[in-house]
Amino acid sequence: MSDTTASERETDGNGRSTLPAEFLERWRDVAYNCFSSGHKFCREVCPVMQVTRDERHTPTAFQANVVAMEKGHLTLEDVADDYVHCTMCGACELRCPNTLFTGDFYRFRQRTIDVVKAMRALAVQNGIHQRNWKRWAELTDRWGNEPVLGWTRETSGARVRAWAAGLDLPTGGETVLFADCEAAFKRPSVPRSVAQLLRACGIEFGLMEQQWCCGGPMWETGYVDIAHRMAEHNMLDWRRTGTRRIICPDPHDYITIVEHYPELDDGFDEFEIVLALDVIAEALRDGRLKLTVPIERTVTYHDPCRLNKRLGVWQAPREILRAVPGLTFVDVDHVTQWSYCSGAGSNLWVEKPEITAQISSRRIAKARELPGVDGLVSACPWSERPLSEQGAAQGMEVFDIFELVAEAAGFEV
Amino acid sequence: MAIALEGSVVDELIAICGPEGVFTGRSALFNRARVPAPFPAHRWEDHIPQAVVLPTSAEQVSEVVKLANRHGIPVVPRAGGTGLTDGAVPLNHGILVDVKLMNRIIEIDHGNRTVTVGPGINMLKLNEELRRHGYFYPDDPASYPCSLVGGRIGTSGWSLIGARYGHTRDLVVSFEIVLPTGEIIRVGDGGGRSTRKSSSGFQLKHLFIGHQGTLGIVTEATLELAPRPEAEFSAFFSFSDYMGAHRLTGDLSRSGVATLGGVVLFDEMKIAYLRRDDEAYIPQDESVRAVVACASYGNADEVRAGAKRLLRIARASDGSYMGDEISQGDWWSRHDRYATPQHGRTRDGQVALMSWHCEDAAIPYTELPAVREKWHAIASDLIQRFDMFDDWGMFAYTNGAHKAWGDYLTEIDIGIWESRWTDESWAAWVDAKREIGRVALEHGGSLTACHGSCRAGEVDLVPVELGGGFEVMKKIKRALDPNNIMNRGKYLLDQAYEEE
Repeated sequence: MSDTTASERETDGNGRSTLPAEFLERWRDVAYNCFSSGHKFCREVCPVMQVTRDERHTPTAFQANVVAMEKGHLTLEDVADDYVHCTMCGACELRCPNTLFTGDFYRFRQRTIDVVKAMRALAVQNGIHQRNWKRWAELTDRWGNEPVLGWTRETSGARVRAWAAGLDLPTGGETVLFADCEAAFKRPSVPRSVAQLLRACGIEFGLMEQQWCCGGPMWETGYVDIAHRMAEHNMLDWRRTGTRRIICPDPHDYITIVEHYPELDDGFDEFEIVLALDVIAEALRDGRLKLTVPIERTVTYHDPCRLNKRLGVWQAPREILRAVPGLTFVDVDHVTQWSYCSGAGSNLWVEKPEITAQISSRRIAKARELPGVDGLVSACPWSERPLSEQGAAQGMEVFDIFELVAEAAGFEV
Repeated sequence: MAIALEGSVVDELIAICGPEGVFTGRSALFNRARVPAPFPAHRWEDHIPQAVVLPTSAEQVSEVVKLANRHGIPVVPRAGGTGLTDGAVPLNHGILVDVKLMNRIIEIDHGNRTVTVGPGINMLKLNEELRRHGYFYPDDPASYPCSLVGGRIGTSGWSLIGARYGHTRDLVVSFEIVLPTGEIIRVGDGGGRSTRKSSSGFQLKHLFIGHQGTLGIVTEATLELAPRPEAEFSAFFSFSDYMGAHRLTGDLSRSGVATLGGVVLFDEMKIAYLRRDDEAYIPQDESVRAVVACASYGNADEVRAGAKRLLRIARASDGSYMGDEISQGDWWSRHDRYATPQHGRTRDGQVALMSWHCEDAAIPYTELPAVREKWHAIASDLIQRFDMFDDWGMFAYTNGAHKAWGDYLTEIDIGIWESRWTDESWAAWVDAKREIGRVALEHGGSLTACHGSCRAGEVDLVPVELGGGFEVMKKIKRALDPNNIMNRGKYLLDQAYEEE
C-alpha cells in the first residue's frame, strides 16, 4: 500500500486534500474542455447514470469537480466516493460533442476515463480508500492474481495455469496465451476454448512461466504501485522465455497492456499484443479454422465496452458469429450499444455490487426484447459474471464467444 | 456560502424522500449549480442549493413543496440542467428538486396516440422505446440527447422540426404539476388527459409551460405520438450573397409543403466560421457566402412529391444545390458541429478554449437582414474591447408550429474564453446581451424563441417586451405562490412581492 502521510499531502487550511499542481497541469484543460462545453450529451449513455440518475455520477461532474477543486470549492474527501461510480466503459467520451464533432479529423477524444483514474490514484495516494477495493488490491499484491474466487480462496501465480490441465501446453516461446484472473480462475472454459481453437488454427503457443494479473484493475482503482509491480513482473516473464507475441482473449488485459505497459518500459516495442478475437476471425477468413458443428440457437451479441467503445473493435466478433453454422444471430448495432454495459468494468461490482446488478439486469432485459433470442454472447469474461447472474434470473443464457466457437469447431468446452 | 439547512428540516426531507433521496454533501450541491450557459465559476458558491432531493413521486414533490412553504425555503426545480437561461440555477440557494429519477414510461395509449411519462425522461431514450411501436415523439432540440421532458415544459422548448410537428407546447397534450403551495393538479386543453382541443375554462396548459420553474414542478406528462417518418428529404443550397439566401428561405417557408420540417439560413459569418478547418468542412467554393438548408419528413410518397416542389422553388432562385454529400445523415448536427471549445479564436487567430454561447430571439422574416447587421456590430464591439469573445456567426430557423412561414428563431453564436472573465468583461457581456435583446424588440420580435429570458441582461427587458402582460405575470405569481417559494429570484418576479 502506498499511502503517503498527511504531511506529504497537499491540503487546505482544514487538513482536507486539494489537487497538487502537477495534477492540475495535466488535467486542467481536459476538464475545462468539458466544463466550458457543458452539453451533457454523456449523461444518458452512461450506464451508472442510467441507474442512479444522480448528477454527481455524470462524466460532466467528474470534469467539473476538477475546476471546482482548483477554485477551492471542493476537496478530494468531498468527491472520492463519486469517482467510484464509473465502469470506464468509454461511452461518455464517444458521445461527447467535443469528440463527435472534432474527433474524426483531429483524432481528438475527450478524456474522462483518464481523469477518473487519476483522481482515484490521487485518493489512494492521500490515504482515502474504498474498503473493498483496498482489500482487493492487497490480496492481488499478495497472491499475484485478483481474488476473483472470494476473499479466502487463494488465486496465486502458482495456480494460474490450472485451467490448462490436460492440454499439455508448453512454457513460453515466441507466442503466449495471456489468460488472466477472471478467465483463468472463474471461467476456465474461456481460456480452454481459446487454447483449443489456437491449436486448431495451427498456431504454436505456450503459457507464461508464472502469469500475474495484468494490473489493469489496479490502475483503474488507484493502486498504481501494485499495477507497476504486476506489469514489470509480466514483462520480465515474457523476456525470460523469449516471448514476443502475446495473445489476449480478454479485452481488459489487452487494453491495459497497450495503454499502460509502454510508459513503463522503453523496450516495449519488441512485444506484439494481439486480441484473440482478431486471430480467430483471421483464421476463419483464410480457412485455417473450420466450424462444422451446427449450433441451433438464436442469440444476440453484447459489445464489451473495452472492445466497442474504447478500441473500436466490433466487426470481428460479428464476423465470427456469422460464421457459426446453425446459429441465428440477431444483431444490435454497435452504436446503439454505446449505452449498454454489463456493469463489471473497473471493478465497480466489487465496491457497488447493487449498481452492477442493475446495469447487467437492464442489459439482459434489452436482449430479451429481441424476438426469439435466448442467448447472449459476450467476448469479455468480466462481463460474463454479472450478465450470467442476471441472465439466470431472467431466462437468458450467457456464453463467451470463444466457448461458442470452440463448440462449433467440435471441441469439448 | 449558503447557510446549511437546519438538521430538523433535513430530517423532514428524509422522512419524505427517504435517506437515499436527500443529499447535502458538497459535491451534490456544487454539481447542481450550473447549466451549459456561461457560468461565473468564481462565484460558484452563490449558486449552490442547500439540499438536493431526488423524489420518485408527485406526492413526494408535493410534500417537499409544502415543507418549503412552512419554513419559507426556496425550491428550485431541475430536470436535465441543459437550459441556456439558468432556469435550473439556484439564485437564492434553497432545496433543489431534481426530477431525474422520475423517468419512467407510464403508459402508451395506442388508440388515442399518447404516451404518458415522468418528467425525468430524455427524448432520445423515449424514442428508443417508441421505435418498436412505429412511433416517435418529435420534440427535437439541439439538446435532444440530454434534455429532459420536464425541462422542455418548464422552458417551453423549441424543436428543429417544429414547422412539421410543432414545438414542446404543441406536443404536450396534458400534464400533472405540483403548484407552488403543494397542490397537485392536471392541466391540458380542458380536463381530459388526451384532449387536444377544448373550450372549457381558461387555457391553463400554456400558463404552466415556459415559466422557468417559477409556477411549479411537472411530475407527469402526456405527450403526442407521431408516426415514425418513413422518409426524410434534406437539401442545402449555396448563395453568393445573404439577400439571395434570405429570399429563398422565405419562398421555401411559404411553399405550403406539408412535410416541410424546417428551413435554416446560415449567414456569411457562420460560413466563415465553418471554414476555419477546411479539412473538416465539406469544401465549398470561395463564392459561397450564405447557405439555405431545408428538411422534410413523413410518408414516402408525400415527402417525394414535396421534395419535387421544394427543388423547383430552389431552382428558380439564385442559389445552387450543394450536392448529396452534405445532405446525408444528420444535417441538423452538422451545422452545429463546430460549437465546441476547440474552435475558439482570439483576435489574432490563436486557438483558445472557448465556451459556446448562443443568444436567440424570435424575429419576423422581413426584419432578419437588419437584425443581422446590428447583432454582428454588437459582437464586433465586444471583441474589439475584450480579446476573449469571438463571433461564430448566425443562423435563422423557421419558428412557426405546423407551418414554416412567419418569424424565425434567430441565433448569434458567440465564443467566450471564460477563464478570462473579469467583473468588467462580465458587465460588458451582460450589456451586449441586453443590446441584442433590445434590437429584437425594436424590430417587432421577442427576446427569445427557445432559451427563455431570465438571465442577466435580457431579463431587464422582459417588462418592456410584455408591458401590461408582465403586470399580470406578477399578479399570477403572487396568487399562486404567496410565499415566493418557487424558483425565487427568477424573471424579476420578486417585484411581485415588493409592491405589496
